[in-house]
Amino acid sequence: MVKSYEAGGTEFRLSVPRLDILKSAKLAFVGESGSGKSTLLELLAMILRPTESKAFNFQPAADSPIHDIAAAWESADADHLSDLRSRHIGYVLQSGGLLPYLTVRDNINLSRRLVHRSTEDVAEHWAERLNIAAQLDKQPAKLSIGQRQRVAIARSLAHDPSVLIADEPTASVDPLNAERIMELMVGLVDELGVTLIVASHAHRLMQRAGLQMIDHAIDAVSGNSMHVTVSDASS
Amino acid sequence: MRPRNSQSRLIVELAFRDYVHERVMTSCFILALSAVLLPLLVLFGLKFGIIGNLLAPLEDDPRYRQIRPVGSGSFSLEWFEQMAARDDVAFIVPRTRSIAATMRVRLPDSETGRIISVELIPSAAGDPVLGDLDPPSGFNTVLLSQDAADKLAFAEGAGAEGILSRTYKSQQETVLLPLTVTGVASAGAFERDGMFVSHELLVAVEDFLDGRAVSPLGWDGSPTQDDSRNFSGFRLYARDPGDVAGLRRGLMARGIDVRTRQADIELVQSLDRNLSIVFWVIASIAAVGYGISFGSSVWANIERKQRDFSVLRLTGFRARGIVSFPILQALMTGVLGWAIAAVVYFVVQAGLNTLLAESVGRGEAVCRLLPAHFMIAMLLTISTASVAAALGGIRLAKLEPSLALREG
Repeated sequence: MVKSYEAGGTEFRLSVPRLDILKSAKLAFVGESGSGKSTLLELLAMILRPTESKAFNFQPAADSPIHDIAAAWESADADHLSDLRSRHIGYVLQSGGLLPYLTVRDNINLSRRLVHRSTEDVAEHWAERLNIAAQLDKQPAKLSIGQRQRVAIARSLAHDPSVLIADEPTASVDPLNAERIMELMVGLVDELGVTLIVASHAHRLMQRAGLQMIDHAIDAVSGNSMHVTVSDASS
Repeated sequence: MRPRNSQSRLIVELAFRDYVHERVMTSCFILALSAVLLPLLVLFGLKFGIIGNLLAPLEDDPRYRQIRPVGSGSFSLEWFEQMAARDDVAFIVPRTRSIAATMRVRLPDSETGRIISVELIPSAAGDPVLGDLDPPSGFNTVLLSQDAADKLAFAEGAGAEGILSRTYKSQQETVLLPLTVTGVASAGAFERDGMFVSHELLVAVEDFLDGRAVSPLGWDGSPTQDDSRNFSGFRLYARDPGDVAGLRRGLMARGIDVRTRQADIELVQSLDRNLSIVFWVIASIAAVGYGISFGSSVWANIERKQRDFSVLRLTGFRARGIVSFPILQALMTGVLGWAIAAVVYFVVQAGLNTLLAESVGRGEAVCRLLPAHFMIAMLLTISTASVAAALGGIRLAKLEPSLALREG
């Protein structure tokens, strides 16, 4: 799979010769900023259209059908991808992933309401787990950044996804909080059997959290173009 | 499809909550809209009120709808039937030669014993000048014009008598005809001494004066001609002042010279047209101006909220629903801005009408709008706002969602 794009006059080319991610795996793409980690996560989250793709399959669970994502992009079936995303993917952003006009409770419930699932006691349960119970009826603007990240994690897990994708989830918080948030996140995905894919530049933090590291190496910077290859990560 | 439906419901809810969350900004949008809409409503209200006041007499006074023949012609009953069947004709009856359409009248019981000569005006059901009065019928039931009633000192219930004289076979003959006066027409209906009579009586009078027999009344004379008779004139009223010009053209084209008060009507109509043009020019400029201003605010807002929209996409909302987000908010702005403008308009209208009441008088409103005008204003407002927002929405649809997520 290849994604090429241009940013600030530099042609960028991200290529993924082969990448297999198994159910319940915990991966971290580690690399310096600008190496295309976010781009890779967005490709995996089915929100960014690959420039070319030989094969891109997604099987949310062992007993569920295999979805041909490459074909869906080919036929421009964006609604199908949106639906898959709403059911199977949770996404945590570096910051600001909450809707400012909803309370913490409604932010957490949003992902469940989108797939028509009951929201009874859901927000309470997750708030309890993530230690934000006192914040449920506040608006995100009233929360600290660390608390907001916890809410974002709650929302991305509340609809029982099979994959949790987190893009620099701890980059905006202090090291102590970063440590706690990673611990919480890893603990939850272990418990729920959710596949975790994180992009980070914090090499040691990822290592301590017990994630399998995948180097996100820049192969060549020649002139105006940059090539990044993600090596095989089957496990 | 069920999932899509409830996704739209969720989008509507989110759009509403964002709208409320950004109260300061949305209030500005709403007030800006009202500020543009209010003067337009007042301007249109004034145009509608003033033109309405000028048009009211044209519509109320049947004289503006009358089409009078000049000189005498020859019109068959068939022609009258055809004319009566037209949509733009409210009323038409035949007239006989004016020399044969007069009668002397007196009130037998009156002390003065005064006899006056009246013009006979043919009438029938639906005569616009008689208003609610019962029309004359048969040979004996008639109505008097105001002038005639005054000269005869007519009081309600008094019996009347018609006197007709002719020279027939070199002999002076006079017949008397008992009449029942059922009413007196208003002063504006006929401004000379006149008597409204049925078609039958009018024809009978002409027959008698021409020396023919009128057997139902027992008047002798030469045998009556039958149906083939023609009439020399007509009383014709158009359905609406606006129909006069068309009827006039049609009659003139067939060689029938007529007089109308078309010039008065056209003066008001052209004033109406010109004021409408001025109004719509101003309204279009305002709409384009508001559209651009609102559209650019929506555009800037989408820029500002790019991240929120991307979060919705990441959560799994479909692109179409997200594009409808700014349009839904524009609809709310449109309805609220319109509602405020309408409420303030009523205050302004009341003020203007009180202020200008003296110069118009007769309790006429200078400024007024119909409910339909408010509806049209709302539809135009909502469409302008939605089109402006849709342009922003198109931009939103084109945004690659992921680009917004990068911290840089």
